[in-house]
Amino acid sequence: MPRPAPRTITFTIDGLEVQAPENSMLVDAAKHGDIEIPVFCYEPKLGNPVGACRMCLVEIEGIPKLQTGCSTPVKDGMVVHTQSERVKVAQNSVVEFLLINHPLDCPVCDKGGECPLQDITFGWGRGISRYVDPKRHFVKPLALSPLIAIDRERCILCYRCVRFSQEISEDHQLVLQERGAHSYVSTFDGHPYVAPFSGNIVELCPVGALTSQPYRFRARPWDIEDAGSVCTLCPSQCNVTLTVRDERVLRVLSRANPEVDDGWLCDRGRFAYPALGGDARVTAPLVRDGGELRPVSWERALEEAAAGLRRAGERVGALAGGGATCEEGLLLARLVREVLGSPHLDSRVAGALPLELLRALAEPSLQATVSDLEFAHAVLLLDCEPVADAAILDLRLRKGVRRHGLRLVPAGRAQLLDQAARAQLLDTLRAAGEEVVVLWHERLGAGAEGERAVRALLDLAATLGLAGIDGAGLLEVPAHTNGRGLREAGVLPNAGPELGELDEGGLNEGGLDAQGIATALAAGELSALYLLDVDPLAGPSPLPSSEHLRSPWAAPEPELWERALERASTVIAHATFLTEGVRAHANVVFPALAYAEKEGTVVHPDGRVQRLRPGVARPGETRDERRVLDELTAMVAPVAVGS
Amino acid sequence: MSSVPRFQHGSRVPGWDMAADLDKDPATIPGVGGSPSPEVPEGLRADIEAHMALYPDPRSAILPALEAAQRVHGWCSPEAIDQVASVMRLTPAELVAVATFYDMLETTPVGRHSVYVCTNISCSLCGADELYEAVRAAAGDDPEFNVRSFECLGACDIAPMASVDGAYVGPLTLADVPTLLEDIRAGREVLPEKQLARRPCADPGAGS
Amino acid sequence: MTTTLLFDRIDEPGLHTLEVYRRRGGYEALRKALAMPPEAVLHELEASALRGRGGAGFQMGKKVSFLPKGGMDKYLVCNADESEPGTFKDRELMQKCPHMLLEGIVIAAHAAGATRSFIYIRGEYVLQADILDAALAEARAAGFVGEQILGSDTSLSLVVHRGAGAYICGEETGLLDSLEGKRGNPRLKPPFPANQGLYQGPTLINNVETLCTVPTIVTMGGSEYAKLGVETSTGTKLVSVSGHVQRPGNYEIELGIPSREIIYGLAGGPPEGRRVKCWFPGGSSSPVLTGEDLDIPYDFDSMAKAGTMLGSGAIIVVDDSTPILDVALKVAKFYRHESCGKCTPCREGTSWTVTMLERIDAGEATPMDLEIMASVQEHIMGNCLCVLGDAMAMPIGSMIAKFRPELEAHMATARIRSGVGGGAATEGVLAAQGALVGAGAGPHGEAH
Ligand SMILES: Cc1cc2nc3c(=O)[nH]c(=O)nc-3n(C[C@H](O)[C@H](O)[C@H](O)COP(=O)(O)O)c2cc1C
Ligand code: SF4
Ligand code: FES
Repeated sequence: MPRPAPRTITFTIDGLEVQAPENSMLVDAAKHGDIEIPVFCYEPKLGNPVGACRMCLVEIEGIPKLQTGCSTPVKDGMVVHTQSERVKVAQNSVVEFLLINHPLDCPVCDKGGECPLQDITFGWGRGISRYVDPKRHFVKPLALSPLIAIDRERCILCYRCVRFSQEISEDHQLVLQERGAHSYVSTFDGHPYVAPFSGNIVELCPVGALTSQPYRFRARPWDIEDAGSVCTLCPSQCNVTLTVRDERVLRVLSRANPEVDDGWLCDRGRFAYPALGGDARVTAPLVRDGGELRPVSWERALEEAAAGLRRAGERVGALAGGGATCEEGLLLARLVREVLGSPHLDSRVAGALPLELLRALAEPSLQATVSDLEFAHAVLLLDCEPVADAAILDLRLRKGVRRHGLRLVPAGRAQLLDQAARAQLLDTLRAAGEEVVVLWHERLGAGAEGERAVRALLDLAATLGLAGIDGAGLLEVPAHTNGRGLREAGVLPNAGPELGELDEGGLNEGGLDAQGIATALAAGELSALYLLDVDPLAGPSPLPSSEHLRSPWAAPEPELWERALERASTVIAHATFLTEGVRAHANVVFPALAYAEKEGTVVHPDGRVQRLRPGVARPGETRDERRVLDELTAMVAPVAVGS
Repeated sequence: MSSVPRFQHGSRVPGWDMAADLDKDPATIPGVGGSPSPEVPEGLRADIEAHMALYPDPRSAILPALEAAQRVHGWCSPEAIDQVASVMRLTPAELVAVATFYDMLETTPVGRHSVYVCTNISCSLCGADELYEAVRAAAGDDPEFNVRSFECLGACDIAPMASVDGAYVGPLTLADVPTLLEDIRAGREVLPEKQLARRPCADPGAGS
Repeated sequence: MTTTLLFDRIDEPGLHTLEVYRRRGGYEALRKALAMPPEAVLHELEASALRGRGGAGFQMGKKVSFLPKGGMDKYLVCNADESEPGTFKDRELMQKCPHMLLEGIVIAAHAAGATRSFIYIRGEYVLQADILDAALAEARAAGFVGEQILGSDTSLSLVVHRGAGAYICGEETGLLDSLEGKRGNPRLKPPFPANQGLYQGPTLINNVETLCTVPTIVTMGGSEYAKLGVETSTGTKLVSVSGHVQRPGNYEIELGIPSREIIYGLAGGPPEGRRVKCWFPGGSSSPVLTGEDLDIPYDFDSMAKAGTMLGSGAIIVVDDSTPILDVALKVAKFYRHESCGKCTPCREGTSWTVTMLERIDAGEATPMDLEIMASVQEHIMGNCLCVLGDAMAMPIGSMIAKFRPELEAHMATARIRSGVGGGAATEGVLAAQGALVGAGAGPHGEAH
């Protein structure tokens, strides 16, 4: 689908000649001349402007009435005034109107100090109000959901939150009720506003009407620092800003990246942080003795682990996943392959694919990006449930459907493998247009039929000629956040870094994949298992507000893994939480870092490398995985080489 | 009850001060994605579906659908809204947003017989405010009646006037009030001689 | 006295039935129009210079010509929401001659190339909506509405859509949202309905009376019709006269006759011994005129020149028995109640105005409040999303401008009544002001 290709025009604003993209709204165009036009209801992320708040009124020569800058596309030669007396009067009066019923309880308001209403009142208000009658009062704050509080006194009826619910997340649960000055934001019959993306309304609200329950009264803007990072709780890898006070994350906000998250976050990414900083975290090294995992010194833990690995030697298998970074992956591969001499490591919990397939899939011309999802003619959802597998993509697809007439075609492995069904699928896609993106989940390649399915997928891509069409291609959602990064780091049984041949790298081949490792362990052919941020038996994630997200950890065959872990003589795990498998079977547990504490890089499903920066100090005795892997390597090395 | 002073917003739902009940489930589309789907009276369902069929976008049938539900339930109760939602495949919130916007849709329980007394400018110039008070007083707390002061009903030629279950009558005098309520109670046509339906046009050229 | 076109023998028994309507030559105009190419019909409409009867007074022919040509789905919406206080003309037309409206709609749709049409009628008009539904059924059966009307290749679907009580749904874009099953909030313009209206398609929106006039225009020819009335306000207009008059009701007049002729000649003027204090020439949204303005010709431009508007043609007469404050309060309360709440100046401004007026009435206001109220009206005007805000600001503003002394007196006496003024409590401004001076003036106060 054609993407907007703006041409630049010149217009005059407050006497300045300014260049701006044609048809961009005046409020945006003005920024090119460093001129700010105040807005409340305008938020391009929410779709077309609604022109409700009237804060952005400007004077345009040749038009008698003042116009709303948020909804007036700039044209070549336009002459605009934002400082004229008329405009000032209008701005003053809108501010005055808005404050009539606003409680002005800024001293006790969470928004205070980072509040558009405060800033605009200060910058564009008259400074006094002529309203002397009593303001209205309501019970406040009220619960809107377990996560969000609403203070209706403060609401300025800007429509942002309700537009989000109708037009972005499309859950249609948050609406305006009543009419005129009686209008208020609410849900149906006192039901809570619970939806996968509800938290975004807190960030959208330009006043303190919608506040985050966990953040309420925790800090003031002048108490906090911002730290940019990337959320690694799911493969979406949304960009976030961490609100930090006293080395604790107090809030997670979106750090808008149009190519990744479009400025939205899911509720898990936004609200899971208390758990990440909470008591459930593993913060000290643990060693199992007498059947119990007990806290021990790092020396002791490392010693136990090293001993176990020495005993196992090349009879060790390793799995990496979760939020493990590329660097950690490389170090793990070095330890297992080069030092212990074992070829058995994998990051595809669902099972490996032949190298040629992996390479075919990684073919640059076949790669689709997140924004391609929005502008494609059709997106084939293959064994993939976006809201569950990579939440934020769900919003991107809805946007595509709503704004660009994107056609969504959900299908499963069966349709791909069945001749007739496949032909039908092709017709549907062709009918929609040539720019087709296939959004598929790693699980497509799992199990016996997996390889056939992936071949069929490549085949479909070829038939549709996706490689030749820009804006079209494949986008794989890995089971694990950094699945793609770990593969490229060579955490695979059959490939080295950058999917290189193993023998070329002088590395031994014939490695077992995840399934193989499990079988071998169960059969006693392997004796040790190394788990980097992954637990094949993990049940649902220990993190809150994740109802909509599948646990990314669980492997296809729990029984097999149960036996494997039972039989393994040494199980070493890097873990942030004691998930099922770790709690029951690990001999050594290294306390792992959460993303907010991590340094490193991850690779987004569409191939972009993103950087994690530590926002807060490491809790308790946790250590950087890279250091742990390094020390372990050093301790194991001489012996392993010697033997 | 809270001691916070209340704004006299006269809102037909006390929503301003209402918190969400955190024990409830989110109100999604009834019957979709595992959420329970309510029993809908057959007549109502048919009625709503018939209206949906009239428009290029079935959503346009929201007003007729809510009116139909109100006829069945007496008001747009949560149950009523839930039923409409399940037939129209919309969330109840979308419907309540619409229901609360329009004056004729009741979002709290009301009497079976609606008496709208116009108290807008033309009628009040002719004594509508006294009339409204009189009707209220006469109706007292009889649960059968839903007496409301209404904005201009478009019948200023028979000011002061009222709409009784949809039938316009006027010009009304205070003396008419008892008869008016009597006729309603008796299920008779209300004040036949004052029904707008029978009133000739004022224009000289109108007669035949 | 003047030509009657729409009201001609409208009380004839049974006129609401197809049979009687046809006996009077009904649907012949449609036959004639369908035999003409759409452009020709449009030409007649333009030649008639018919101006919209719903309030804005925009030339209908022009509006039709704005619709894009081409095969896309086009819509015609008849605005039968008639909720402008004082207006009840559409009601009489729909109730007594529904087929005239249907015929007008089909002709207009033919000219505009619309294939789907809707009548948005206010929910309170139960009787009229039922009559329309019955008439529509007859018309369909007789082939005047539906597929290939009268064997031509013009087809039109028609649905009578009942509102549920909201003045703002008379505003054309609020109406469209309401018709789409949403809250009746007005939309930003542009895009205008002619380009993106109902379901995003090109849409022609016209008032009942406007559309009822269409058959007449086709029958007598546009230029003939244009000879009626005055140059910029052609034809006849239905006027709803109400308030303090002896014969309230709808009258069909030729545009341009002196207003006095309507208020006194037709409606009989105010009751014996009363004089006209002020009157709304075009519904409660129009700035008020006074007894001095009775000789202004009743047409669009003369009213505009007089600083007000013809609006929907609803004349509300207020005689000298009513305090202007009561009128202002009624009007302001109406707009507060009907403001949709979407845009700030209207939502907050209407309720602020009511609060101030109530304070004046309660004797808790000072002359400064009049200044503030006046400036609030100015701040509303022209700054809202639709003109509902202006629709309150204009009349209230005009009342403050034209009746300031009375309002000040009202304020003063109210202060005395409520004891705020204290001291000497005689009627009238001066005495009241004296009292104000005296209030709390220490020894002098006592000296009085
Ligand atoms: C607040 C408001 C209320 C209105 N109410 C009505 C109405 O009840 N009936 C009507 O025909 N036009 C009403 N209008 C005018 C319509 O917006 C529109 O101009 C008119 O229906 C166009 O038809 P016409 O050109 O035939 O007059 C209203 C406008 C506003 C701003
Ligand atoms: S709650 Fe906030 S976002 Fe929602 S309408 Fe009110 S001010 Fe706007
Ligand atoms: S920002 Fe333009 S109207 Fe709200």
